[in-house]
Formats: sequence, structure tokens, C-alpha cells
Amino acid sequence: MTKAIELSELTKTYGTRRGLSGLSFQVEPGEIFGFLGPNGAGKTTTIRLLLDLIRPTSGSARVLGRDPLADGVEVRGRVGYLAGDFVCDGRQTVRGYLRFLAALRGGVPNERVDELAERLGLDQTLKIKKLSKGNKQKVGLVQALMHKPELLILDEPTSGLDPLVQQTFLDLITEAAADGQSVFMSSHIMSEVEAVADRVAIIRDGSLVALDKVTNLRSDAVRDIEVTFESPVPSDAFANMPGADGLRLDSEGTSLTGQFSGRPDVLVKAIAHHTVTGLHVSKPALDDLFHSYYEGAEEAPRPAPVHDA
Amino acid sequence: MSSALFIHSLNNSRRSLVGWAIGCAVIGMGYASTYPDQKNNTDSMPAGVRESLNIDGSAAGYLQATVFGLILPLLAMIYGVTAGLRSTASDEESGEMDLTLAHPITRTKLVLHRFADAAVGALGISLVVWLALLAIRDSAELTSVTPVELLAQCLQLFLLAVTFAALAFGIGTALGSKVAVLVGSTVVGVIAYVANSLYAQFDAEWIKYLSPLYYYMGGEPLRYGFQWGHIAALVILSAVFLTVGTIRFNRRDVNS
Repeated sequence: MTKAIELSELTKTYGTRRGLSGLSFQVEPGEIFGFLGPNGAGKTTTIRLLLDLIRPTSGSARVLGRDPLADGVEVRGRVGYLAGDFVCDGRQTVRGYLRFLAALRGGVPNERVDELAERLGLDQTLKIKKLSKGNKQKVGLVQALMHKPELLILDEPTSGLDPLVQQTFLDLITEAAADGQSVFMSSHIMSEVEAVADRVAIIRDGSLVALDKVTNLRSDAVRDIEVTFESPVPSDAFANMPGADGLRLDSEGTSLTGQFSGRPDVLVKAIAHHTVTGLHVSKPALDDLFHSYYEGAEEAPRPAPVHDA
Repeated sequence: MSSALFIHSLNNSRRSLVGWAIGCAVIGMGYASTYPDQKNNTDSMPAGVRESLNIDGSAAGYLQATVFGLILPLLAMIYGVTAGLRSTASDEESGEMDLTLAHPITRTKLVLHRFADAAVGALGISLVVWLALLAIRDSAELTSVTPVELLAQCLQLFLLAVTFAALAFGIGTALGSKVAVLVGSTVVGVIAYVANSLYAQFDAEWIKYLSPLYYYMGGEPLRYGFQWGHIAALVILSAVFLTVGTIRFNRRDVNS
């Protein structure tokens, strides 16, 4: 089956500055794919390459099996796009503006536009010029979704939306995926993506640093643990266990505490050699995992940690 | 789809277009209506002064030296540049062009539709100027210039605006920078003026052939009617600007 998006060794340099270096991954049809990274990591660059707004320095991108440059008109007809900073202007009303954008796509049923606007709470009689940032973002969402595209490419789609509307948005894209539409969605906030995404890619400085199912990422995430043993264990008992750098055995050798990153299976098998009297493991925080990839990267955002993640 | 882009941008520029048309018409009528007074003044001028100012006593000469020689071509050039600026570089710098180009249209189509909008605006302005001058033709004693000759001059005015719009589109689509459009158009405008009016002092008549302004007025349409060769020159020049810009635009990255 044709991939929704297929990147191979995609590279984009701006003068001497590197935007993307050798980015390769695939987005399966019908999946919701989260594309994470801090500001400046190359998320928007990747998305603009997919839409042929910019051209790769080397490597290639295929969208719905097509070349964004050679088959640009066809590709863009089958894709819905929302820019990171959705800019629109004009003296028209929201309705008039959406009709214009629909006309650029060869027409979209008015009922479809009305339905989306209603669900997002967007008043179509307002003038485009006078819209707040959140309302402009809603216009952006409606225009991206209205023609039921095979692939949605959304750059920071929830920025400026209040939490209620964010939820509506997440419902909308979950429904879209249920209908077989693919969703490629960038964000710099893990918690926003992990709620809906099937898989997540994390990029940093234009390179892929992680790509996995959300469930697998979660299993690799950092957990706070506390293990007590019936009798003292040797001080080097866990020295060679992967992911144990943040763990500390107390001086008596009966209590192991700290942060463990990696698959729980490793931990379980290691402690099973001893008699365990107490065990506490916290839920994994994906935000911490996300931040562990950014250490050293500038501008890594630090939102409030989400511990029930 | 085919006309949506064109209609949308025309809609957005509707108000400023009305302003331009009224402004140009009022200024044109204002200058032209002083001909009866000025005629008496110029009659009393020494012949040498009259010649150096390119003024003779005729209505055509007066209109060439004032209305169509100075203020209206300047306004036409400014209109062309601002229309081009708004349609390309401004749109690109604000990020709005990203949205338009994310739709199933080609970049060439975007440029051509927007340019058509600017050209239709220029046509509207020139027609309104023509009608305004026809309205005062009798009262301002301009009857020695026929309506067709006035139309021929207004056609050149239209083409001058189109040429500078094409220049602004060319620079804007090629480079995507507002500053480049403003600087480039101003430089071309100044050179065009210098080349057309001061060539005699360089003792090199060929220089005037480099100036769009020469093709605008050099054939004196107010006296001799339609100047087909000059019309063709401005059309070809516009086509070259637009083609070069569009080719470059199709090959480069859209700025973010």
C-alpha cells in the first residue's frame, strides 16, 4: 500500500546553516503520526518540503506516492495543510474567505464547512481582519479539514486554541483517521501528541533521534522506582544493568531508589535474583523522555510536567 | 477554480482601486482645466523658454508637458509598483503566500492571475482618466485634441502602469523581498526619467530608447494617435519582466 509520506535522506541546507540532515521515515496510510521537536529543530522545514514550498538540497520526499514538485498540483489537491502561524487577511467575512479557499480546491459542499465551523465554535459572519489568534486558527483548521483530504499536514495545529477547542480538534482528527485519512501533525508538546498519535518521531537539529509507537516509547520512558530487599544485595548487583545510571543502592544494600529509564522487563529480571519485599514504580512521564533527547539542544521547551501521562 | 484567485485579489483591492481612479481623474481634470489660463501665459513666454520646457501653445503640447508628462505617468508608475508589491513580495513576507500555494494551483497561475488583477486595475484607472478628460474637453478648450488621440495617450498610460507592475512582479517573484521591489523599481524609474528627458545633454540620442517613458510619450499620441511600435515595446518589456520573474519564482524556495 502506498505510504502517506515517505522521506529518504531528506536534506535541506540554508547557506551554511543546516535545516535538515538526512531525514528518513515513513508515515503509514490511516495513521496519526506525531512529529515532535523543539522550535528550530526542522519541523516546519520538513512540512514546507512536503508541500513543495521549498525544495530539498538532496534526498527525496514522496507524498501519497507522488513527487511534491513534479506532481505538485495533484499532491496539494489531496492534502490539507495548516501552517504553524496561519496567516490570513482580507476584508471578507469568514464565510466568504472559506468559500474562496474552497473554490481554489474546485469547490467544497457548504454544509461541510458549516458543520466544521459549528463544531469549532467559529462565527462565520465575522470579518477575517478582526479575528483573534484563536479564531484565525479555527479558520485554518476548517480550511485544512473541509475537503476531507487523504492526508492532513498540520504544523502546530493547537497553538492559540483554548483547551475545550483543543479537545474538539483532537476529536476531529481522530474521526478523520477513523475514516482512513492520514494525519501528520507537528508539535513541541509531547502530551498533546501522545493522546492521539499512533507513532511519534522526535527530531533535534534536523535529525531523527527517536521514532516509535507511543506505547513503546512509554515503555522506554523514565520511571521513578523504589525497591526494597529482604537481605542486603552486593553493592555492584545492578552496576551493569542498562538504564540504571539514575539508581542508587543505599549503604545497607537493602533499598534501591532513583530513576530508571528503559524497558521494565530489564529491571524486573534484574531484581528477581533477590528477594523483593517492596516495589514502587511510577507511571512513565513521556515529557521527561522527550526532554532527555533535547539535553544540550537550545530552546528546548519545558512545559509543566504531566505525570499521569 | 479558474477565476477564484483573480476575483479574490480584485475584491481585496477594490477600494484602493476606486481611490486611485478618482484621484487620477481629479488630478488630470484639475491640471487640464487650467489650460485656458496657461495658454495666455505661455503665449507671453520667450520662444526659447517655451522650447526648453517642451511647451508650445497647443492643447496637445500643454497636456504633454503637464497632465500626461509629469503627474499621471508618475502616479501610473507608483500604482504599478504598489500593485505588484502587494501581490507578491508583501504576500510572501507575511506568510500568506504559503497558504495560497498549499492549494492545487501552480506558481505560474498564481502570478498570472494576480498580474491580471493589477492590469485590470490599471485599465480601469486609465479609462476613468480618459472619460474625465472627455468630460471637460469643451470647457477647457481642448477640442483640438480628438477623443481618439486622448484615448491613445490613456492607452500608453495604461501600458506604462502595466510595465511597472510587471517590473514589480518580476522583482517580487524573483527575489521575494519588499525592499528589493521598492529599490529596484525606484532605480528603474529614475533611470527611465533621466534617460528620457536628459539624453540630449549626453549627446546620445540612443539612450532614450532604453527608457519605458520614451515608449510612453515619445510618439506624442496626443498629436499623432496610436503608436503601435511603442505599444508593442511596452507589451514586450512587460512580458520579459514577468517571464523572468516567473521562471525564477518556479525554481526557488518560497520565503517563510
